[in-house]
Amino acid sequence: MSLHGLLVAWNTIRSFFPPDLSPSYLSYVWLPVVQTIGMASAGMVIALCLGIPLAIFVGTRAPGWRVVVTLLSALRAIPDLTLAILAVVIVGLGPPAGMAALAAFYTAMVGKVFAELFLAAPPAPLGSLRATGASRLSVALFGLIPLTLPDLLTFGAYSFECALRASVIVGAVGGGGIGTELVGAINGLDYPRATTLIVVLALLVAAIDTAGWFMRKHPRIALVLFPIGIATMILNPPQIFVVRHALVTFAAMFPPLLPAQSLARLPALIWQTLEIALGGTALAVAVAIPLALGSARNVVHAGLVAVLRRFLDVARAVPEIVWGLILVVTAGIGPLAGALALGIHSAGVLGKLFAEAFENVDRAPVEALAATGAGRLPMVAFGIIPLAMGPLAIHTMFRLEWNVRAATVVGMIGAGGIGEALYNAQQHMQYQQMMAYVAVTWLLVILADAVGERVRNRLGWKYVTE
Amino acid sequence: MLEIEALTVRYPNQPKPALEGVSMRVEGGERVALVGPSGGGKTTLFRAINGSVPSAAGAIVVGETLVAQAHGAALRALRRRIAVIAQMHDLVDRLAVYQNVMAGALGRWSSLHALRFLIHPNRRELGEAHAALERVGIAEKLRSRTSDLSGGQQQRVAIARALVQRPSVLLADEPVASLDPVLSEQILQLLCELARERGLALLCSLHQPQLAMRYFDRVIGLQHGRVVFDRPVAQLEAGTLVFAS
Repeated sequence: MSLHGLLVAWNTIRSFFPPDLSPSYLSYVWLPVVQTIGMASAGMVIALCLGIPLAIFVGTRAPGWRVVVTLLSALRAIPDLTLAILAVVIVGLGPPAGMAALAAFYTAMVGKVFAELFLAAPPAPLGSLRATGASRLSVALFGLIPLTLPDLLTFGAYSFECALRASVIVGAVGGGGIGTELVGAINGLDYPRATTLIVVLALLVAAIDTAGWFMRKHPRIALVLFPIGIATMILNPPQIFVVRHALVTFAAMFPPLLPAQSLARLPALIWQTLEIALGGTALAVAVAIPLALGSARNVVHAGLVAVLRRFLDVARAVPEIVWGLILVVTAGIGPLAGALALGIHSAGVLGKLFAEAFENVDRAPVEALAATGAGRLPMVAFGIIPLAMGPLAIHTMFRLEWNVRAATVVGMIGAGGIGEALYNAQQHMQYQQMMAYVAVTWLLVILADAVGERVRNRLGWKYVTE
Repeated sequence: MLEIEALTVRYPNQPKPALEGVSMRVEGGERVALVGPSGGGKTTLFRAINGSVPSAAGAIVVGETLVAQAHGAALRALRRRIAVIAQMHDLVDRLAVYQNVMAGALGRWSSLHALRFLIHPNRRELGEAHAALERVGIAEKLRSRTSDLSGGQQQRVAIARALVQRPSVLLADEPVASLDPVLSEQILQLLCELARERGLALLCSLHQPQLAMRYFDRVIGLQHGRVVFDRPVAQLEAGTLVFAS
C-alpha cells in the first residue's frame, strides 16, 4: 500500500467518527436488532419443524434413511450466506430471505445432529418398544426422544445461539435485520451511522455469547424462540412468495452454466479464494501466537492478560463479514480485504484457543526449566511452546478448514474470490451462472472438509488436548 | 557447600509447619540420602533450597549465598548452581534429546542465544550435549525425540541436563520412584559417581532404606517436618530406618 493509499485509508477511518448517537437514530436502531432476533427464532422454528421429523426418519432407520443423511450433509456444506443469496432471488429482499436461508441451513444442521443422537441411542429399550408392535412415530415419542432429551435440548440451545450469530450476517446480502442496515449505511457513505451499527452489533454478539452460556445451562429457555419466531413470520410475510414464481425462478437457475469467458477465469477465482483462506489463516497464526503468549496467565502478569483478552474478545466478536465490510471501505475492494477480514477474526479465535493451550501445558517440565535459572523467554521457547505444539496445530488446521468456507462468502461484500463472482452474477440476474458458482462453492467446502479430515486421521489428531 | 540452619517453612492456611527447625550440612562431593514417609517434608525442603517457597524462619546458605536474600537475577544465578532432578515427567517430551539436555545451560545463556540454539545449534553446543549423554551412557540418543525414550533413558537425559548446568549442588527428588529395581540401582550408582567425580553436594530423597544404605555416605530421616536422625551409614543398622507412623 502506498503512502497515498495509507492517507486515504486514514481519512476514511476518521470519517467513521464520531458515531451517530442522536436520539432519533438510537430510537430507530432497536428495530433491526429485534428483527435480527426474530429472524433467528423464525429460522429455528422452521428448522425444528422440518429437522426433527427428518431426524426421526433417519433415527428409526426407515427405508432410504441413508439417502436423507447424504442430502442433509450436502445441504450443510453450502455456507449460510450463499443460501441467503439464493433466498433473496426466490422470496425477495428483506427478513423473509434471511429466515428462509437460516431455516434451510439449520434444518440440515438440526436434522443431521439429532439423527446422529438418535442413531446412538441405546438399542435395548427401543427394541422392546418395537417388539410391542409400536409404530415408528410411537417409538420416537416413547423411546428415542425421552432417551436423548438432555442432548437434544443442549444442542437445540446451542444451534439457536449459532442461528442468532448467523442472523446478524445474512443481512449483509439483503436478508434483513441489522446486517442489511449496516450494508445500507456503508454503501450510502453514512459512516457515522455505520459505526453506531457496528457498536450495536458487537454488543449484540456479546449479549448472544452470554445468552448462549445461560441457555446451555438452562436449555428450556430456548423455547421462547417459538412465540418470537411465529410472530416474526406473521409480521414479515414474503413479498413475492407465490409458489409458481418460486418454481419458475428456481427452474431458471438450471442447468448451471458458465459462459466460456467466465469458465476460463474460474481456476484463478478458486485459487484466489484459497489464497484468501491461506493468507487469512497464516496472518491469524502470526498475530495469535504473541497475543496468546501475552494473555496466558502462566507466562505474563495478570494485568496484561486482562487487557489483551479484551482485544481478542473484540476481534472474535465481530464476524468475518463485518470486518470485511469495514476493510472493503478502508483497504479497498479485493482479496487483500478478504484475507485481512478472515485474519482479524481468526486471530481472535485462535488467540483465545492458543492462550488456553499455553495455560494447560504440563507444569512439571516448565518448573524444571525455571529451576535451572532460565529466564522467561527461554522458558517459553524451550518449554511452553513445544509443549503446546499439538493443540496449536490442531486448532490451526480446523481454522483453515473453516476459513475456506468463510473465504467463499467474504467475496459477496466485495472482498474477492468466488463469492464476489457469485454476488455479481446474482446482481445481474444471471441465475445459471450464479448456480454454477454455488456448485463450485459447495465442492470447495466439501473438498476442504474431506482433506482436513484425511490429514487429521493420518496424523492421528483428535480434537482434544493430549 | 549447602548449609541449612533451623529452617521453618509454613504454607498458608495450614496450622502445622511443613518444616520445623531443620538443620543439616552437605559438603562438596558428599552423598546424602533423605528418607522418611511421604508428606514428611522432603519435597518442601528441596523447594525451599532453590528458593521456590519462602522460609518462615532460619537460613539456607548455598556456597556464599543466603537463599532468602536472592531475588530476580540473583535468584536465577543461585538456581543455576543448584541442579534439580525430579521423579520423571520434567522433560519437554516434544523436543529432541539434545535440546532437553542443553536446556540445562539456559541459566547462563542470553535469551537471544537460547533462541538461536533452538533454530541452529552449533557444533560446540552439540558436542557438549553429546559428552553429557556419553557420561550417562546414552550418547546414541542425541537426536532422538524425547518422547520416544523409555523411562530409564529419560531419567538419564534429566541427569545429563543437570551435568550441563555445571552445578555445585545436586538435588534429586525421588529419582528412582517410577523405575524397576535394576534400573533404580544403575541410576543411583550413576548419581553417586557423578557427585564424587565432580565434587557436587548430592542430596537425594528415597523411600527405599536399603538403597540409601548401599550407595550413600550419610542418611537423614525426615518425619512430620523434623529431622529425626542424621548419621553416617556406618553407624546405622537396617532396623533403625523404620519410622513410627
